[in-house]
Amino acid sequence: MSKKAEKDFTGASKYVLDAELAEIVNISMALEMPLLLKGEPGTGKTMLAHAIAEATGMKLIILNVKSSMKLIEALYQYDTLTRLNDSRFGDSKRDVSNIEEYIKMGKIGQSFVADEKVVLLIDEIDKADTDFQDDMLDVLDQMQFDIIEIDKTVKAKNRPVIIITSNAKKDLSDPFLGRCNFHHIAFPEPEMMRDIIKVHFENIDKELLESAIRTFYKFRDIYGIEKKPATRELINWIRALKADPDFRAKDLLKGNIPFLGILFKKSHDYRTAQAAVNKIKE
Amino acid sequence: MFVDFFYLLRRVGIPVTPTSFLTLQKALGTGLVNSLDDLYTAARAILVKSEKYFDLYDQAFAHHFQGAALKDPQEEDFAEIAHAMLEEWLKDPGGLAKMLGIDEKELSRLSPEDLINYFLERLKDQTEEHHGGSKWIGTRGFSPVGHSGYHPGGMRVGGVSRNKSALKTAMERRYRDYSQEGPMTASQIGEALKRLRNMVPVGPKNNINVEKSIYETVRNAGEIEIVFDRSFMDRLKVILVIDNGGWSMDPYIELVHTIFNYARAQFKDLKIFFFHNTIYSKVWEDPQRRTRPHQIDDFIRLDPETRFIVVGDASMAPYELLGVNGSIHYEERSGKPSIERLRFMSKTFPHCVWLNPVLKNEWRYTDTIRMIGEIIPMFELTLEGLEKAVTSIMQKN
Repeated sequence: MSKKAEKDFTGASKYVLDAELAEIVNISMALEMPLLLKGEPGTGKTMLAHAIAEATGMKLIILNVKSSMKLIEALYQYDTLTRLNDSRFGDSKRDVSNIEEYIKMGKIGQSFVADEKVVLLIDEIDKADTDFQDDMLDVLDQMQFDIIEIDKTVKAKNRPVIIITSNAKKDLSDPFLGRCNFHHIAFPEPEMMRDIIKVHFENIDKELLESAIRTFYKFRDIYGIEKKPATRELINWIRALKADPDFRAKDLLKGNIPFLGILFKKSHDYRTAQAAVNKIKE
Repeated sequence: MFVDFFYLLRRVGIPVTPTSFLTLQKALGTGLVNSLDDLYTAARAILVKSEKYFDLYDQAFAHHFQGAALKDPQEEDFAEIAHAMLEEWLKDPGGLAKMLGIDEKELSRLSPEDLINYFLERLKDQTEEHHGGSKWIGTRGFSPVGHSGYHPGGMRVGGVSRNKSALKTAMERRYRDYSQEGPMTASQIGEALKRLRNMVPVGPKNNINVEKSIYETVRNAGEIEIVFDRSFMDRLKVILVIDNGGWSMDPYIELVHTIFNYARAQFKDLKIFFFHNTIYSKVWEDPQRRTRPHQIDDFIRLDPETRFIVVGDASMAPYELLGVNGSIHYEERSGKPSIERLRFMSKTFPHCVWLNPVLKNEWRYTDTIRMIGEIIPMFELTLEGLEKAVTSIMQKN
């Protein structure tokens, strides 16, 4: 591994990485296995792929999975419409009789044909149906797929580093899990959160940082909140607090908490949080 | 290496596959794993595929590599573990204990809260399996907690419910996640579900009919003529509400499974909620019915054209349907009887049906089926019943 050591992953400029996850990433890269990340929204699953790409200097290719998606779309597309158009009007330089000119690579396809090793992020795999997942397995396992129209097999030039994220809406199928490494990103502890905030706001006022984080974790503990505020919300909230000239960090601890709407986006949650705030005031 | 550890993981109930174990061996060969900490992380990432098992893994790891005793269940783990534990006990009911009536009157005076507290106390006291007797929880005793007992208002603690009317269910957290792939059901059921397709011949003409297009194009002497058809399964909003709790729904789980998977594939705008027994102030988005509640009152904001389908056996104690605080989950007390909630739903969504897996000829034995049937049109979950339900729900009125 020492040869590859310089490519090892230790974190990126805007991403705070814990040692455990770093190790899992490195092992997955060494084993050339996809890494499946689960965790509640806002724990930085998607950010991790960006960070890996940044840290290793590889290109990042993102496949955003949609519920209606068919695997073939992620592999390649046969652009029949352009071909039809060309055949009728004949004003392009493409050779109409050569179907290959009308094959466009999808995201997985791109990551296979890329000249250099890339990071392939398959985002929110759980949105797609199980057929998609199972079909994709074969492709990722074999690192090749067929283009039926031109009877050609595309093989991966370099095995991409594959990161798969799932919001845990439903469990993935067993064969799928069997071929991935797995990590569940827990919500960061206050300690970790401090580091994350510091990465996003250099020179943040210490008092603001402390009181914002303390308030934030208190809010997460309120019973009956449906969508707990996550890192993203906290960062936006602090941004708003910083932008408000009238705001003083001490106010938070007194129970004067502005911009609740940034933290709570569901009306039911907002009301619950508001009620909790009013209780503190009393 | 670590073969013992592999078997230990399997023994504590983590589904570890031999393939992943081989992968671990490969990982050890990469030179990346140099310490116990590394091993801990690497082995977990490779062997354990769900955060559900992380806790078990931690215990097993500590036990194997550091000699820690496999932990006794802590109080917090109680709810999760209690059910599994109870099930073990109750599986083995021992000899028939005779029904004894001495405590019946006194115990029936206990309020539901007292009952639950009593149950929790007993459960903590209990250290061994127990059948019969008057204090411990086991099977066939006459203590107010336990199952198959004969206490008039007793809680049910596992076991197949007999007359489907236990008033309080405490440790019955045996929720099934219906979204997982279940075993295949009879082709007859699949056939029945296909009829749900009748529901959706709406939407704009946005599907290209290739055959017709070719035909028309040829007829047109090669000038392209594209023929569009209506798309078949769009535009219909469906809310599916499933009763997924309790023993009384147990026999029908497979059936509900099929419905669930089918509905998911078929409808684009499908919301699925879960409840236990009947609907109170909220339904849940998560099958465990814990973390993501959805207020019933919020449904009023949805499109009244939404098709509202309830799947449940509608069998419960009349008290649970009519009582102001009828919910068997005591955190779910809402101040309005469930029957009011059901009326509200049927007003909010005029197109609603209740699919009941209990066969129609058995309905008359259960009062609550009749009562709910008067509010929401009820159909049995069979080929025939489903067809009728679909017809009813698609009526324009």
